[in-house]
Amino acid sequence: MEKKRENYDVVVIGGGAGGMTSALYAGRARLKTLLIEKSLIGGLATYTSEIENYPGFPEGIDGTELMKLFDKQFRKFGVDVKLTDVKSVEKEGSAWKVSTFRTDYIAKAVIVSTGGRPRMTGAENEETFRDKGISFCATCDAARYTGKKVLVIGSGDAAIEEGMFLTRFCSEVWVSVVHDEGIMDANEVAREKALKNEKMHFIWNTGVDSYEGDEILRRVNLKNLKTGEIIPVDVDGCFLFIGYLPNTKIFENLLELDSRGYIVTNENMETSQVGIFAAGDVRSKALRQVSTAVGDGAVAGYMAERYIAEVEVIENDILNKDRTLVYFYNASENEDRTLLTRLELFSKEKGVDLTVIDCYKSDKIRKVLGGAETPSLSYYEKGKVVAESSLREKSDFSFLEGII
Amino acid sequence: MAEQYLDCLGEACPVPLVKTQNAIKDMAVGDVLVVGIDHTCAMKNVPDWARGQGYNVEIEEVGEGEWEVVIEKTC
Repeated sequence: MEKKRENYDVVVIGGGAGGMTSALYAGRARLKTLLIEKSLIGGLATYTSEIENYPGFPEGIDGTELMKLFDKQFRKFGVDVKLTDVKSVEKEGSAWKVSTFRTDYIAKAVIVSTGGRPRMTGAENEETFRDKGISFCATCDAARYTGKKVLVIGSGDAAIEEGMFLTRFCSEVWVSVVHDEGIMDANEVAREKALKNEKMHFIWNTGVDSYEGDEILRRVNLKNLKTGEIIPVDVDGCFLFIGYLPNTKIFENLLELDSRGYIVTNENMETSQVGIFAAGDVRSKALRQVSTAVGDGAVAGYMAERYIAEVEVIENDILNKDRTLVYFYNASENEDRTLLTRLELFSKEKGVDLTVIDCYKSDKIRKVLGGAETPSLSYYEKGKVVAESSLREKSDFSFLEGII
Repeated sequence: MAEQYLDCLGEACPVPLVKTQNAIKDMAVGDVLVVGIDHTCAMKNVPDWARGQGYNVEIEEVGEGEWEVVIEKTC
């Protein structure tokens, strides 16, 4: 099977709230946009049955319903959609190559909104009973366990708050906590409420050893971390709330990640690579919500549009010219401006074009071209650098003698 | 590396999945199966099963309510 190649302005990786908003902004700016999603459009929000804090829906809205509305809206702007897994992202010239198993998409800008997934304990038989008794969302699955006994793993905010939510449905909620008696990772208010809740029972100093059952989960064997004793707990369901992992495996050697694997960006959603932006839960940030993903997506889509406009300047003014001098400077610096006047005379004398790039507001074009820090001068012939020099220490153009 | 088309248009679950499983069984590693479906439930269980096997999967919407699930047998 031969690999196809397709060109796009923007490729968005991930079809959750952040990705769909990015695609909406890019599509609406009339950029040729592709959104790639590995399974189904909607992302993590589809696992929440009631979203009460997304403004505009005062009665609350089902996560899947809300994501369907997002879906309908971004497709209106002519965005292409592919449902497949992205295998790699690599630099190709001044563009990026996003590869799926059948196609290489060449994109001027890439927006990463790959979100995350719940962390697993890694205990024996965990995969076997995933969605067959092991669940990650109380809001989604609580009703299924009405009048039944469930076990919650974890003691953070999510574990304790979701655990308390489960007590409204379940007859008994047992909680396995790795810490000593009375200690939890959750906030103090939640901790006290939980300790007072009659339906909640705690098993301290424990972690999961293994899962047992037939077609569905029947028993979780906990292990006392101090004594090694195995404590079998017969349950109807088990909820894991031991954290969240970002989907950043393919970006490990490409983008700067924080210690927990989330993508580091600035407030403009720019990552450590020029032309790659990140939006939504995958980004290193304090609050992960549909509303914050939407904000990220809007900024990423807009910044991608601006970046592409800048790249076009590069192509039209520099790379497509027979020969041109390129002066990178900071317009707010007096000396840089004096140099500009001298350079204008110099270029006229030599009869060669001068392209002036002001790096005061954005340093991006210089970075894409690989020019030296401002003030600096490069000489291009047919899209290639022939000579370049910093003008910081020595502001003379003698290095071009014999070249132009 | 052969490419083969499996017509499941008009078929309801679980027929597309069973047909897909049978077709893939006889294929060699590296071969590609394209399954045509128009039943939304097959659009979920066919790719889910194939991903679970570790195969490469891509879904293309070829028309209104009509999809092609492209599966590469990788192991």
